[in-house]
Amino acid sequence: MKWAFAAGLMLVSGMGSVACAQTDPTPSERAYSTRYSVAVIDDATFYSDVTAPIPKVLNQVLLEPTFGIKIRDRWTFATNLVGAETTYRDNVAHMRVKETYSGLSAGDFDFLAGRKLVRWGTGYAFTSAGVLDPPRDPTDPGDRINLNEGRDMVKADWVRGQHALTFAWSTAELARKGMMVRDTTAIRYNVLMRGFDTAFIAGNDRGSDSFGAITFTRVVGQAWEVHGEATWREHAAILAGAKYTTNNGITFIGEFYTPPNIAYYRSIRLSPTAGRQHYAFVRAGKTRLRELPGWKEWDVSGAVVTNLDDHSYVGVFDVSRWFGKHVSSYVHVEIPGGTKKSEYGAAPYGAATSAGIRFEL
Amino acid sequence: MSNVNWTLRGFLLAVFITFVLLFALRGHAGSAPGVDAEALLKRSDTFRNGWPSFVTRVKITNYESGKPDEEKLYEVSQKGMDRTYVEFLAPREKGRHLLMLGDDMWIYLPDTSRPVRITPLERLSGDASNGDVARTNYATDYTPAYLRAEKVGEIECHVLELTAKRKGATYQRIVYWLRVEDARPVRAEFYLTSGKHIKSATFDEYTQMGGKMLLHRLTLYDEIRHNSHSQMEYSGSVPRELPDKLFNQGRADRF
Repeated sequence: MKWAFAAGLMLVSGMGSVACAQTDPTPSERAYSTRYSVAVIDDATFYSDVTAPIPKVLNQVLLEPTFGIKIRDRWTFATNLVGAETTYRDNVAHMRVKETYSGLSAGDFDFLAGRKLVRWGTGYAFTSAGVLDPPRDPTDPGDRINLNEGRDMVKADWVRGQHALTFAWSTAELARKGMMVRDTTAIRYNVLMRGFDTAFIAGNDRGSDSFGAITFTRVVGQAWEVHGEATWREHAAILAGAKYTTNNGITFIGEFYTPPNIAYYRSIRLSPTAGRQHYAFVRAGKTRLRELPGWKEWDVSGAVVTNLDDHSYVGVFDVSRWFGKHVSSYVHVEIPGGTKKSEYGAAPYGAATSAGIRFEL
Repeated sequence: MSNVNWTLRGFLLAVFITFVLLFALRGHAGSAPGVDAEALLKRSDTFRNGWPSFVTRVKITNYESGKPDEEKLYEVSQKGMDRTYVEFLAPREKGRHLLMLGDDMWIYLPDTSRPVRITPLERLSGDASNGDVARTNYATDYTPAYLRAEKVGEIECHVLELTAKRKGATYQRIVYWLRVEDARPVRAEFYLTSGKHIKSATFDEYTQMGGKMLLHRLTLYDEIRHNSHSQMEYSGSVPRELPDKLFNQGRADRF
């Protein structure tokens, strides 16, 4: 039934593409415009040196249609679904709504209601200030197979010049079972001043403490970008990071993150008595190896995430390649290390290798 | 005695001719009487920025060893001198957006749903870079100095040297050839802070769009990888009143 719904949506998207003026070469004002895409991903993960009774292969086939329509630059409707068939211990098919929302733009105001992916955090691998963000996984910050889901919310933005004020109220009532979210009310003020893209965030989780945060990003000179977050939620959480780009296009990202060991921030693999944690993340990557003949379609990156307190770590390697305009493939390898009681060393495998192929239209 | 006179006369004549030639050359190349480099640069910008607020389509075709191997399509919305919003329309880049405010640039990637700050060096990737698409008002970003007059093929040109006003500009130095007749760009060479000559451009074709004579096609040559170049084609330029909030860095809810 869910698959039939996804297929129906694809059909509607396809019809929209025929009817819309998206291929119109003249960017004149239109009564409406549409956006659509469909992605099909087959992702297989192979676990080696398994130390627990778990299957050695996880296979996921995902169908991800997206569709959006904007009417007279005023009304917006967008939806982004994921249908997944997972083969692991059992064969399970399910559909998730990543985003489905309606929006109205009126003067300096934008209003939105529905499920929406919002990211207020500025960190690449970690975030403390992203109070409405989906959980950030430092071993897969780009959400390789697009499984992140938005929060159900009503949001109002006021935008003028370089100032933006956002009010959001999010409910946990409609969230999928297993998602660790509460009703959240938050307000965010964002301003660009002297090159600092700064945001102040404040709010409250129902039945929990209030929180406050400040985030910033700044480009320094030709090659550096610095970013940071400071959040107060029972205790302080700090993130400091930087990005450096070399002349030949290699980008390095480094982050230091220290959250308090409270339920909100705690990893499921961490003991409640472990105390404040400190993490470091380093990544080097290059998109498109243009300098090497025949390697223009390749992207490569390597990263290490480490818990500085228990000295455990995960090494992550990613390689991807495009074939034409619509097909790409990738390999993602995670190698955890550390003692069996440590955060990353407790993983029940020696290495997890994911290989996937992605078709996008 | 007469031999000495002839030698002296010959020497004085040579000095006089050299002086006249040097003076003429100096006058021709350096001082350029009557040429206002600032006004010339502003006039040349009008061939790429027809209106104070407008929308245009840019198609980029990348060539490797003379063969086309990749096509990209962008819709560029520009307001004022330094605000540009770019929507990526090619299948491989669908869902991406780029915002440039002054020297600050953000890219919105569909898999991160948040604006990612881009450094000037990240702006330079590719033959035609993000900076080439998003930034076309050189008078805002560079200080011009008149270098010389020179012919490019059969076209009489003024040659300007543009120096970046700030470190955040896409290029640190540009040598710019403008047609004497109307200041339309003819050729350019782009340099990094290190002095490295990174790209060259030829402004190949102009056409009437929306009642204005505007640049239609330019070619960018990679001076590091000499077997690669890109062609940028502008089409469908129209004036349009664009809302200020389109250019707000915090507005991640892009359609």
